[in-house]
Amino acid sequence: MNFTDFLGNQAAVRRLRETLAAGRLPSAMILSGPRGAGKYTLALLLAQAANCLTPITTDGLPDACGVCANCERIVASFALDERFAEAVAAREEMRDVDKKDTRILIQTHPDVMIIPPDPPQLLIKLGQVRTVIARIYRRPAQAARAFYIFTASSFMKEAANSLLKVLEEPPEHATLILLSENPSELLPTIRSRAGVLRLGALPAAEIDALLAARRPELKAIERTLVGRLAEGAVGRALGFDLPEYLAYRQDALIVLHTSLAEPDYSVLFRMTESYRAGAEGAIKTSGMLHALSLLLEDLLLIHSGVPALVRNTDLVKELTRIAHGVTPQWIEAASRGLDQVEAGMRRNLLRSLSLDAFATSLPVR
Amino acid sequence: MPGVGLEADKHTVQGFAMEISVSKQELLRELTATQSVVERKTTIPILSNFLLEADEAEGRLTITATDLDQSIKTSCSAKVKKPGSCTIPARKLYDYIKLLPDGDISIKLQDNHWVQLRSGRSNTKMVGMARANFPQVPEFPSVSSVSLPVATFRNLISKTIFAISNEESRYTLNGALLILKPESLAMVATDGHRLAHIEKQGENLGTVPGGEKKTLIPRKALAELQSLLSNTDAEQVEFADDENQLFFRIGKRVLTSRKLTGQFPNYEAVLPRDNNKFIIIRSEDLSGSIQRVAQFADERSGAIKLRLEQNELRISSSSTESGESEDTIESPYQFDALVVGFNSAYMLDFLKAIGNAGEVRLEFKDAQSAGQMRPEDPSDDYKYRYIIMPMRI
Repeated sequence: MNFTDFLGNQAAVRRLRETLAAGRLPSAMILSGPRGAGKYTLALLLAQAANCLTPITTDGLPDACGVCANCERIVASFALDERFAEAVAAREEMRDVDKKDTRILIQTHPDVMIIPPDPPQLLIKLGQVRTVIARIYRRPAQAARAFYIFTASSFMKEAANSLLKVLEEPPEHATLILLSENPSELLPTIRSRAGVLRLGALPAAEIDALLAARRPELKAIERTLVGRLAEGAVGRALGFDLPEYLAYRQDALIVLHTSLAEPDYSVLFRMTESYRAGAEGAIKTSGMLHALSLLLEDLLLIHSGVPALVRNTDLVKELTRIAHGVTPQWIEAASRGLDQVEAGMRRNLLRSLSLDAFATSLPVR
Repeated sequence: MPGVGLEADKHTVQGFAMEISVSKQELLRELTATQSVVERKTTIPILSNFLLEADEAEGRLTITATDLDQSIKTSCSAKVKKPGSCTIPARKLYDYIKLLPDGDISIKLQDNHWVQLRSGRSNTKMVGMARANFPQVPEFPSVSSVSLPVATFRNLISKTIFAISNEESRYTLNGALLILKPESLAMVATDGHRLAHIEKQGENLGTVPGGEKKTLIPRKALAELQSLLSNTDAEQVEFADDENQLFFRIGKRVLTSRKLTGQFPNYEAVLPRDNNKFIIIRSEDLSGSIQRVAQFADERSGAIKLRLEQNELRISSSSTESGESEDTIESPYQFDALVVGFNSAYMLDFLKAIGNAGEVRLEFKDAQSAGQMRPEDPSDDYKYRYIIMPMRI
């Protein structure tokens, strides 16, 4: 894979490649964009193109061959989930003393280090940043330019602070890339030390065409739905798990109905009971809360008279009916409540109880 | 892994065939030399493996270990039935070989990266990883190496390594600077509070490009060199570097280390020139006194006070928590009286480096200037000096 296979955001990609061609790659940058927009892919492509031993030219700009010794090793990092699982497994096998202060790092190429959030808290920790600091001041072994890629902006406070010095005075042979869905999550002092490149959402028509080509198994109606729900992110559209989303949305609708129609608490409690503690429950809860926030957004869109933008295209009728029964104030209050539930999740509140409380506390219209 | 090149495929094919037999003592000796590089706390699975490569023509088994910052490559003689290569979990292999009785061990690579070890009545299988995953280890450059005498180099390291900075933010101080000239070699290390400098004249290093060569050697590499140098019969170390790597060849073992970036500070500017007040004391006495007095020094700073008066040195300390203490050592001193404070730990580090032997010369200018410590031995070939910044007490 090279830059020509990168989908969407051509202007941003072009700008990045131009800085590479001019030899003016920034030493620190933030790649921001929604989940699935291709931040990680772009960061690795950049690392490849900067270090390719037999560089090629596409569209008049430098690109990577994808097969030389450097590219081959960097390409191995594309399967982030797999590499991550390997690293976690390697840590599991360690002796307990070593396990405690071992942090997850991925390095398929000696000069391209990938720093994912460290489980189980899924935060980037001090030990990881310390390793980066220790390594970054060494000359690259095989690459022309070393790359350090942080795959999320969820830093522990100490870790973020200890990164500041190296962000401010990075060695000239290295580039730090921070991937972020929401750059405001990062410390203002980090943001001011790094250039920001934004990957925006793709137009619905482009996503639709892409889905038609890459996921022919989807029916036209499903395709429109997936295209809208992917929120303009290519990776998300291509990997969208529709049945899973529909299940979350079903649960989210139960929450809505509880507060709007005649509440049927036994249905609600049966549903919320399935949101348990643990990592699996965390994923499930965040999926459901996301579906709920999309529903609320749709209600607001209908209310504002732009039903054409509704994401849950298959539910327009039902959503219109609900929308007519609520006021904008109600929607606002509900979305505030939702924020509170999400904040509570980060503080590890009991999931089922939080959801019950949220559903029953929504103001009656 | 997508896009595996032809070369890697060739290795896998060869690797499948590997079969050798090697003596346990020889293998264990080489594994012991390399295993320290293998990092215990790594989540990159291939780095906890040794790379074994068997060469039929030379009848050798080559062993490589790396942590991506540095690597050691070594070899031992082996009966190679089929040439090839494989990787084996380092720690397990080392621990297992240690437990085997003396004799020959046969190592055979089987399907799916399984490796079979047989020795006497013991039979073991371990699973390795694909050879293609093992990081490339750079080869010793064929040109422009310098030969350094092992004994001198080892002494240089042990006299400076303790002064290297531990602060990760002062990255140019995270190593010691090796200075090579055609007729001398020197090493210097500092952490900003103290500096150790040692020089040996009268060596013949042959041609040094540019008349002088300065190289910053990372602390990790120095620690590795220390153990390699003390376990060798070789008399010379071959040293070379390229843009990114340092190479040291000790006998048949080669250590490589990635270079540190940045400029080592201009240490010559801080070497004191007019420290004309001095006192000479037996190292053992000084070390004993400092250790006793330091018990009552402020715990965080470890500060002790040196008071030089007519023919005596008083060492004292006091802290609000533990009390106060003073030791007096008698020795000729004819200069103006002087009171100066130092970190006791820094002084003890130096005394330990010279083995608490012989006499040591303390040189001062005034209470605001750096003090200098030197072993007092006119017959010594080495010029060793240690500079400590004073503390205000």
